[in-house]
Amino acid sequence: MAVSFKEVTKRFPDGTTALDRLDLEFDLGEFIVLLGPSGSGKTTACRLLAGLEAPSGGRIEIGGKDITDLPPRFRDIGMVFQNYALYSHKSVFENIAYPLRIRKVAAPEIERLVKEVADLLRIGDYLHRKPAQLSGGQAQRVAVARALVWEPAICLMDEPLSNLDALLRLHMRTELNRLHRKLDKTFVFVTHDQEEAMTLATRIAVLRDGKLVQFDEPRTIYRRPANRFVAEFMGRPAMNTIDGMVEGGVFRAGDIACAVDCADGPLMLGIRPEQIELADHATTSSVTLTVDVKEAIEPDTLLIFQNRGNSVTLRTQSNCDAIEPGQPVGLRFPKEALHYFDARSGERLR
Amino acid sequence: MNRSYKILAIGVLACVLIIALTPYVWMLLTSFKGRLDILSPEPRWLFTPTLSNYPAVFIDKDYLPLVFNSLIISLGSTVLSVVIGAPAAYVFARSDFAGKEDLFFFFLTTRMAPPISIAVPLFLFFTTLGLTDTVYAVVIAHTSFNLSLVVWMMRGFFAEIPKEIDEAAMMDGRSRLGAFVRVIVPLAAPGLAATAVLCFILSWNEFLYAFILVAFEGRPLTVGIPGLITPHGTLWGQVAAVAVVATLPILVFTFLVQKHLVRGLTFGAVKG
Repeated sequence: MAVSFKEVTKRFPDGTTALDRLDLEFDLGEFIVLLGPSGSGKTTACRLLAGLEAPSGGRIEIGGKDITDLPPRFRDIGMVFQNYALYSHKSVFENIAYPLRIRKVAAPEIERLVKEVADLLRIGDYLHRKPAQLSGGQAQRVAVARALVWEPAICLMDEPLSNLDALLRLHMRTELNRLHRKLDKTFVFVTHDQEEAMTLATRIAVLRDGKLVQFDEPRTIYRRPANRFVAEFMGRPAMNTIDGMVEGGVFRAGDIACAVDCADGPLMLGIRPEQIELADHATTSSVTLTVDVKEAIEPDTLLIFQNRGNSVTLRTQSNCDAIEPGQPVGLRFPKEALHYFDARSGERLR
Repeated sequence: MNRSYKILAIGVLACVLIIALTPYVWMLLTSFKGRLDILSPEPRWLFTPTLSNYPAVFIDKDYLPLVFNSLIISLGSTVLSVVIGAPAAYVFARSDFAGKEDLFFFFLTTRMAPPISIAVPLFLFFTTLGLTDTVYAVVIAHTSFNLSLVVWMMRGFFAEIPKEIDEAAMMDGRSRLGAFVRVIVPLAAPGLAATAVLCFILSWNEFLYAFILVAFEGRPLTVGIPGLITPHGTLWGQVAAVAVVATLPILVFTFLVQKHLVRGLTFGAVKG
């Protein structure tokens, strides 16, 4: 059983192309995160799968069955909305029970299923309340409960955590992780937060301008980003990408000179801030740059260097008390941590 | 300062109340007065009350069916306007289509023409249909102006409900129509109630169309009152009795939905 988008295109009446021939296939049981900046088409992809929008071209299939023209209620898909979309005139219990009532489930069975899912989401004590009396986190749990209670094959979540405050967001993230492990359901989760994507997903689909840029496990996306866009989008602070030239196996850009395994010519070098090493002694392989800004985000320290107009960021856990802005610092760019991108297209070279 | 402000406010309110209520109270008193008390040259606040005006007009003159005519016309046109207007308003609130705002404005313009200007065409229209002198003609005529009111007011109420609610209902298993009828309409119920009451009042009070379209059979109360102006003089006691009965439903409804009504009206005004 798999869900597949086949050359799915969505153009809106105002002329914008939200999705451009999207091909995406994943198995039931996965936790898929659609990740991208605003306007990347991730929400559109989610709404197309839900059936709330109709594609302008292409097909969507679930388990080999074409569902492109199927109304939402026949798709066996539940959905959680960013603004919760709870029915304010119904109690929490009735909100959760609503999909079951529509399906004419017997009353004692409804009682049992609602209790069960409410306990799972730890909202059992609020069942008699009205949505207006709930906190953001509680309301979000009710929305999740409502989407799960009738056990649809797929549960869609459109930025479900972005209306919550930071601490609650972390907490709900953990809860969703737990839920996915326990229920073994398919989750499709839309977010622009790379950290949420990294922690939740079994696989991440990175979208940009309506196109699928990379679809892989979080680890692979982090370690082998397909291009400069993914490299800079994943990880905070973003990966350093430095434009320069390779001559005789040495990459040069401003004050940076380091050995690379690359053919001569223009190159964009990438290195993650946490993989740049502080060199204790000036060695031949080290680069010396001047500290521009120092930010202590305990227990880590961020050092930002200026290199002829480009900034280079380093993230380290080692003690930087002695380092002050304006001071030159020796750095080492380990060869195994380097990413090579095409200088023009930004695509990964290898 | 605060205290004197309060006294002033109460004073102003009292004045407004006196001005607004005196005619009504006078009418109420008149309906219980005998002929001599009514025609006395100086106003009489104290008199021997009589109940004779009510049976005289409602039973002897057979005005009771007029109450039912009024009810049928007002309820009929209200139900018709809401049933047709609310789905239209929902479409205006949710969908985008070419010429939407122009069409919406067109609904409003139907209320801008002076009613008298379409009275004669309406009469000819209903004569062709064979509906003159029936309540149906008045129900349809009243729907013509109540409909635009419903569309105009309900659009704002529907727009206030996030569209994700419709979508959530559809994900939960409703069709689009099901989501509207089972979820959106209950959520918009306060606005719907305010709109319906306003329609009811407008239709209940309407005189011109009813007067032109029905001569006898389907007469509502408003058209019945001029019948009490006879060549031998106006029967003020009976006029007052009819007027008292005619204002009762309005009073009851307005008190029932006062809060929603004010909100509904101001809302329409701001959003429009």
